[in-house]
Amino acid sequence: MQKTRFSAVLSTFILCMLVWIVLTWSFSLQELAAGVVVSLASALFVSRFFIHEDAFRFFNPVKLLNLIVYAGTFCRELVKANVDMAKRVFGGCKVNPGIVRVPTGMKSDYGLSLLANSITLTPGTITVEVAEEEGENCYYIHWIDMTAESGEAAGEAIKGNLEKGTRRVFD
Amino acid sequence: MIIVRFLIDVLIIAGGVFALAGALGVLKMPDTLCRMQASTCIPTLGTICVALGAILYAAFFKHSAADAVKIAVIALMIIVTNPIGSHVLARGAYTSAKREGTEMLLNVDDYGRDFHE
Repeated sequence: MQKTRFSAVLSTFILCMLVWIVLTWSFSLQELAAGVVVSLASALFVSRFFIHEDAFRFFNPVKLLNLIVYAGTFCRELVKANVDMAKRVFGGCKVNPGIVRVPTGMKSDYGLSLLANSITLTPGTITVEVAEEEGENCYYIHWIDMTAESGEAAGEAIKGNLEKGTRRVFD
Repeated sequence: MIIVRFLIDVLIIAGGVFALAGALGVLKMPDTLCRMQASTCIPTLGTICVALGAILYAAFFKHSAADAVKIAVIALMIIVTNPIGSHVLARGAYTSAKREGTEMLLNVDDYGRDFHE
């Protein structure tokens, strides 16, 4: 466990305050003061679990822009996978399932977890395990319709576009 | 205004169709992991389409920015929290099936080869 840092507390505080304002949606002084107290307390307790690396990463406009572009890419992949899954369900449930080992070039913790969560959210693929072997990270992915068996080809089919996007945001 | 009304209807019906696909998939798929795959349709496009429709309704017909923003937050929370649960459930299903010796429908099983032999 690491020490509580000022920058981490500040960025967690800003996030909590934004959520508070969005959820209460009133700008009276009393509500805002209560929000400041609650956000500050939770930021002090939580920030050291919440932020491990550079706390102000997304204040960099290039990274923020890349994150927004990534959201677009992700939505496109999501729609494609959803339509495919709906067709599969309404058309007789032909499946060819398997768990494949897919190597990845991602290094940072945030990048790894963002990519793993994106893969899990796409219907048709679920990340079962993230493992590190010989300095290289790899995912074990349950895939409902295997069109490729070897690791690299499967990786290109499952996360080709997503990995390019995440790498631009986090590495 | 009639165009927005039409768009809202289309979005909510599309969300319903995807949720139906997910629910039917849970019933029709052959084994646990495949069922989880089908049910991922419900929190992704099912939720997003219905939430988009509701946001448009709140913005154009109720004229309430607060409601629109709250619905957006609800959708975002579902999207962010869902994959963690899915991942843990999938791993739990796999591990318990291995321990009980249940036969799983897997044509390739790299995970079992690397971790459970």
